[in-house]
Amino acid sequence: MDRETLRRLESLNQLKLTDDEKNKMLDFFGFYDEELKKLDEIDTENVLRMVHVMPLENVLREDVAKKLFTRDELQKSAPESTDGYWQVPRLVE
Amino acid sequence: MKLYITKSAAAAKNAVVLDDMILTKDMPTSAGSKMLDGYMSLFEAEVVTRLRDAGYDICGKANVGEICIDLLGETSYYGACIDNDEIKNASAELVKSGEVEFAINLDVNGAPRRAAALADLVYIKPTYGTVSRFGTIPAVCSGETVGVMAKTADKCKEALSKIAGHDDKDGTSLKDEDCKKVNVKSKDIKKVAVFKTDDISDEVKAKLDEKLELLKVSGVEVIELDTRILEKAQVAWNILMSAEVCNNVSKYDGIKYGYRTKNFSNIDELYTNSRSESFGYLLKSTILFGSETLSDDNYMKVYDKALRVRRVICEFMEKAFKDIDAIISPVCKKMAYTVSDIEKDTYIAYDESKFTAVASITGLPSVVAGGVELIGSAFTDASLLETAKVLAKEGK
Repeated sequence: MDRETLRRLESLNQLKLTDDEKNKMLDFFGFYDEELKKLDEIDTENVLRMVHVMPLENVLREDVAKKLFTRDELQKSAPESTDGYWQVPRLVE
Repeated sequence: MKLYITKSAAAAKNAVVLDDMILTKDMPTSAGSKMLDGYMSLFEAEVVTRLRDAGYDICGKANVGEICIDLLGETSYYGACIDNDEIKNASAELVKSGEVEFAINLDVNGAPRRAAALADLVYIKPTYGTVSRFGTIPAVCSGETVGVMAKTADKCKEALSKIAGHDDKDGTSLKDEDCKKVNVKSKDIKKVAVFKTDDISDEVKAKLDEKLELLKVSGVEVIELDTRILEKAQVAWNILMSAEVCNNVSKYDGIKYGYRTKNFSNIDELYTNSRSESFGYLLKSTILFGSETLSDDNYMKVYDKALRVRRVICEFMEKAFKDIDAIISPVCKKMAYTVSDIEKDTYIAYDESKFTAVASITGLPSVVAGGVELIGSAFTDASLLETAKVLAKEGK
């Protein structure tokens, strides 16, 4: 892990670290590179990945539209809204 | 100490406190994050509905660490609970004081189990899929479980019987007949295996030995189990946890709800500054680490590898449970954690997941009692709670 890769990760995840945080993060990546080697001790060549720990089945239902919440209710938590719209900054400069 | 984030004004009979990860309509839910400070949900968690229907009063929301991935709750936006320099867990303090009958927690990375162990309480993390996660703030969907913390195993059992059951609204909910198995004692715990490691304090080692002796006196055979699986589970769990957290918090962007920065001049700055100003460092670093494990370069050798290791661990446990009835292990490396412990090691929760990762990554039931953890095969929850009475010296 180098600073350029960290900068790319910050950008991908819409985050900005302070210089101090960046140094701590680079130390952590260095530490974890070593930790990952512990998994190499397990041969997983013929092992299937396990996403769900319990046997799950698809649960299907009729695709019926239901009105759960009104726009006013949904916008109660909006940081900014105007006349029934979510307000965001101008997208095109 | 800020134990409650919100306290209900109504007088509470049969009072229950919820981790502030569990949605309620009448109280805000913050997930311990500035991002969701004051967030009001339009619906409540299934577990809350079931408890209210069963006659319990929700008396408030307990302070938690930011999306519950930390050690004990110390990364909360509202501040850590500290008593005489010692880090405390809000739910555990409320249960211990007798102010509530029990707490309902979301066990994301083992914090409630550690809290119960340090406060000498009982905690059950039920078999994955038997208690609905509908209406809990998602962090690590493939491993997190709603559980119960109480003073006694009987109280945990009572609460579990009210909340376990199939829920159509949760895609990972098991069939009702399977969910109900957690309330029925299915076996006697007659033979247990212990995870004994050298990296625990002398006090923790003494506590574990004391509990092993109690089990032996009550007729339980104790053998030792290969501990190498612990660090493999820990590394794999930390990878899966980070990757899932990264995905689950990507929706917090300051647009539709949550914190929005005042400091922006374009949409990218709005996203970046809203997230950077409201997330704490542990969460930020978990997002970045998770993102790296999911990158093109690392997906196969890190994330995919961790998923395969998860199967190896599940098969290891399945094989072990053919010969034994449960596994006993420490929960934490120390008996208490101070502010300086946290300051010295930002990633202490990653390190301390060594003993909680096995049950998290496999979804197996785990009961903490008398300061130690019992892990059983799927659906042996009630059997573990029976043995917990011996460990907690209940009725003695």
